[in-house]
Amino acid sequence: MSENISRRDFLKLATVGAATTAVLTGCGPASRYIKREPYMQMPEYTYNGLSTYYATTCRECAAGCGLIVRTMQGRAIKVEGNPNNPVNLGKTCARGQATLHGLYNPDRITGPLQRTTRGEAATEGLEWDAALQVVGDALNNNNPDEVAFLMGMAPDHLFDLVSDLAASIGAPAPLRYGVLSMFEARATLVKAAEDLFGQATLPFFDIGNADLVLSFSANFLETWLSPIAYTRGFSKMRRGNPKRRGHFIQFESRMSQTAAKSDEWIPIKPGTEGLVALAIGRLVAEAKGGTVPSSFENVNLEDIASLADVSMETLEHIAQLVAEAESPIMIPGGSALGLNNGLQTAETILTLNAIVDNFGKAGGVFFSPLSPNEDEIHRPASSQEMIELIEKMKGGGVKVLFVHGLNPLFELPKALGFEDALASVPQVISFATFPDETALQADYVFPDHHPLESWGYQRVATGAEQSVLSGAQPVVSPNYDTRATADVLLAAGQLAGGAVAQALPFQDEIEFMQSKFASLVSQVDGSFSAPEINTFSAYFQQHGGWWKKSAELAAPSASDALGKSIVVEQAQFAGEGEFFFHPFMSPTLGEAGANKPWLQELPDPTTTVMWNTWVEMNPETAHELHIENDDVIKIISEAGEVEAPVYLYPAIRPDTIAMPFGQGHTAYGRYAAGRGVNPINLLGSHFNEAGDLAFAGMKVRIEKIEGKKQLLSRLESRIGVYNEGLEEH
Amino acid sequence: MSIDLNLVGAKGAIAQEAEGKWGMVIDQDVCTGCQACVAACAMENNLSFVGEEDAGYGRTQHWIRIERFWEGAYPEVKSTPFQPMLCQQCGSAPCEPVCPVFASVHSQSQDINLQVYNRCVGTRYCANNCPYQVRQFNYRDYHLDPIHANEVDGQLVYPFHNQFNPDVTVRRRGVMEKCTFCIQRIHKAEDTAKSQGREVVDGEMVPACAQACPSNAITFGRLDDPESLVSQMAHDERGFKHLEELNTMPRITYLKEG
Amino acid sequence: MIRNFFEWVMGPMGRIAVLITALSLFSLAAFGIYQTQVPPEQPIQFPHNLHVRLGVQCLYCHPGALRGPSPGLPTQTKCWGCHQQIAKTFDPNFPELSEKLVGYIERNEPIPWVPVSQVPDFVHFTHRPHIAAGLNCENCHGDMTQVEIAENPQVMNMGWCLNCHKSRAADDPEKFTKLTDCGTCHY
Repeated sequence: MSENISRRDFLKLATVGAATTAVLTGCGPASRYIKREPYMQMPEYTYNGLSTYYATTCRECAAGCGLIVRTMQGRAIKVEGNPNNPVNLGKTCARGQATLHGLYNPDRITGPLQRTTRGEAATEGLEWDAALQVVGDALNNNNPDEVAFLMGMAPDHLFDLVSDLAASIGAPAPLRYGVLSMFEARATLVKAAEDLFGQATLPFFDIGNADLVLSFSANFLETWLSPIAYTRGFSKMRRGNPKRRGHFIQFESRMSQTAAKSDEWIPIKPGTEGLVALAIGRLVAEAKGGTVPSSFENVNLEDIASLADVSMETLEHIAQLVAEAESPIMIPGGSALGLNNGLQTAETILTLNAIVDNFGKAGGVFFSPLSPNEDEIHRPASSQEMIELIEKMKGGGVKVLFVHGLNPLFELPKALGFEDALASVPQVISFATFPDETALQADYVFPDHHPLESWGYQRVATGAEQSVLSGAQPVVSPNYDTRATADVLLAAGQLAGGAVAQALPFQDEIEFMQSKFASLVSQVDGSFSAPEINTFSAYFQQHGGWWKKSAELAAPSASDALGKSIVVEQAQFAGEGEFFFHPFMSPTLGEAGANKPWLQELPDPTTTVMWNTWVEMNPETAHELHIENDDVIKIISEAGEVEAPVYLYPAIRPDTIAMPFGQGHTAYGRYAAGRGVNPINLLGSHFNEAGDLAFAGMKVRIEKIEGKKQLLSRLESRIGVYNEGLEEH
Repeated sequence: MSIDLNLVGAKGAIAQEAEGKWGMVIDQDVCTGCQACVAACAMENNLSFVGEEDAGYGRTQHWIRIERFWEGAYPEVKSTPFQPMLCQQCGSAPCEPVCPVFASVHSQSQDINLQVYNRCVGTRYCANNCPYQVRQFNYRDYHLDPIHANEVDGQLVYPFHNQFNPDVTVRRRGVMEKCTFCIQRIHKAEDTAKSQGREVVDGEMVPACAQACPSNAITFGRLDDPESLVSQMAHDERGFKHLEELNTMPRITYLKEG
Repeated sequence: MIRNFFEWVMGPMGRIAVLITALSLFSLAAFGIYQTQVPPEQPIQFPHNLHVRLGVQCLYCHPGALRGPSPGLPTQTKCWGCHQQIAKTFDPNFPELSEKLVGYIERNEPIPWVPVSQVPDFVHFTHRPHIAAGLNCENCHGDMTQVEIAENPQVMNMGWCLNCHKSRAADDPEKFTKLTDCGTCHY
């Protein structure tokens, strides 16, 4: 026998030792490490292991899409569309799907807070009774003229409550705003409709029945107005009619996700959209024969073609298509209207529809129906209307500012001066659910429930053929010590007494909501009817809202539009620089998605970049400037400067650079803070005649930063796009 | 799915491979690249998000992804149609024969390619072999990364875990995963139908991606039922299969743009 | 030095020492394995045999088994529904009830039961089709009139499941395919 232990023996011993250890630690039912805690009292309709579904409304944007949320034992696990809601007909967008990442976000504010110093994270908790006292005092102890309410585009029921509250104490009406409405140029659309048709309305573009769509920078497949409704329309235009496939042309300086689906992408020079519309109008009128409308008479086609950097052949080709199309439609939107001539551009493009006489016809332009419980359109404030509030704040005219559903420090350009003006407001009370930039500067944060934990209703401004009031109900009990802001205001109002308590004698949010849709109870032409308010309420929750059974798409008359004289010129740009600056709303993040990690991980549809901000530059231009992918450059405008890595984007004009909006938070949780840059701070304080910010009207210059690179995480392979790594081959 | 006992041997096997039971049709003409399907799949199947660095390394857990390529140069540049790419559930899947522990097997009863998580030892051979590159590997315990947790009373609490779908296994590191055609929904639908003494109706069961898609680009159903919508759409003249020349016999037909 | 040690181990004293070490390791291992197979301890020593003998049906407390994947555990109100009427609940001679059960109810706390019939979480087992196929609860969970604290009558592993699946589908090839398909339970 060998005196040394052999290798084989050693292995045998070692194996036995290892096996013993494995056996001791790894085996056996894991059950001893788990507890199962049954309900104290299970809700009646719940079976263990089976899900319960609740209908509610999504609040990730203001479209008002209906949702059905699957819950399992008190936890919301999946969001689906409500198949009956006329806006989305059972579909959801990426942001709606990820709303659960907001509900279960680790950075939610868990209870009422008082901030010791503005701008610092340190807070002290307080009880809700004390919080109600603070709100009550704020309403009572201040001159009503010095109380200001700033709200987001959703939810509508809270806006109605605050409107009534403000009216009852004599305070100015609440302002509601959203950066999305800025990118949509909503105020411009409404004003253009008012100017042309005499009615302030949001036009509805029936692209589903059109056979030719000419979109002037309307990003209707991304975040514009009602993305699911318009995507459904797009799908119908393409494939809904077996006899024809709709043709789609997009005019935009950058190939957006929407433009990527177009048959022809025409990168006209920024600022010339109105002129191009004029040229096309003239050509179409000529092609159709008959009289040319007066506004389109004195049109120099060659001048326009060269100004717009487009060929005469292209213009003639498009005009020919329009003249021959059965149901063409022309859509003004987005960056075409976010210029100083935006209102005139919108009116020109809407008039194009008049030339082809598609108002009120299938595939044409309509008025979006008003929501069931409103008499006139409630549109969000334009950026210029925000200036009025900001000036008042700066002048010390606002003693207490309430903020809900909006993050003005992130959504408003610095140039508008909100940040400085905030310093002059002695008391800022935020109802934010997440610790965003504005909540960080608030003296008190009294967190509202997450939308999936909330009651409410949302008026559908556009997207459905019927008049729709979408309803919301909680799908789970509140996770934290948050309270519905409506309840807080009502309770504080009762505490304060006087005019407020009289004007709003409601026990809670639901009683208030019922008072607002009481008029619908007697109506018989809706999705359901009920004998009295409580039954109506129950059905309202169960169905996820109430809507009219039949379509109510009113239409303007073409003659109104053709009679007007429109003067449109090339847009003027602010600032010095060689590049047109084209900021756009990130289609995956939207305005408030940066704190939801699955939205961050969704690749941008056209660049496939995740988790960051980038600046898109034409590869030829980049080549001339010796700029490569991921090189960090500084972009400087008259209003500010930012640094971002470059993405060589094949489909953008050589004289234009573009940046997505959605990142660049300095607060708002661990997934959002310190990530990317906010391009809105490059925008100056310039507006079009409707009051919308001329967000596409800046010129910027760039500076290369030697040696600074920031690798962008892309889903695509670089080899396929740029042949990187294959140069030697 | 019925096994045709008349076709035997190789012929029978190929017939079986070619037909398929559950299948999909994706219309690239109407897919807008909106990523709603990606988000829906993530929420339904407990997919983890990996963060910027790992995403840059290509380690994202995208069971379905939207591909986009470029053609030409400015101004004659075109973006190719958005292309949702997910596991094609191949009839003759290249990922199946290479798994040393039989974790990637073909389901005889559902006729899709399965990933059995508990068998997987993480060789990643299957992902290597997949010509569509649709298999994802859990390089880390992404769900348990402390960055996603809050500390409550000395313990780590993960609020995101509340959102997990109980019908889908939560994967740990070292395990391969891929699209399952929402097999949990298939099982639920079949179980419900069986309990009511009937067959599954066409359209009764849709995977999460098809349910979310705002433009109805994704159609799902039984390929072996000639009456089903997906069967009829699969015979559309615009139909083609990706990488058809590799004879993987995918169950997804794509419809060309235009 | 190592050579000296190995010389000693090869000698008679050494061999005995090795034997004793091996035996103790082995018994430790056996004890460890035994420990892992013992039914877990429950917060309240709930006697199944007593309740079943009194006529309580399985589906009364575990109703989910009829309709879905998970049979569920009875809620507090279900237990309390009877027990608040039963004098024994408040008798201090029966602390399981008078202290523990009443305590949980009064504190409005759910009873933290430890699950017994567990399958790993990568297995998706659903009760409904099994009950629909005509199985009784006793077939898998044993005769509850013989058990005090809940325990598994046999190890519930895949081999045991497959045995039954195979034998019940022996004459139906389609059913056999489905019941032995990996994806039926592992997904």
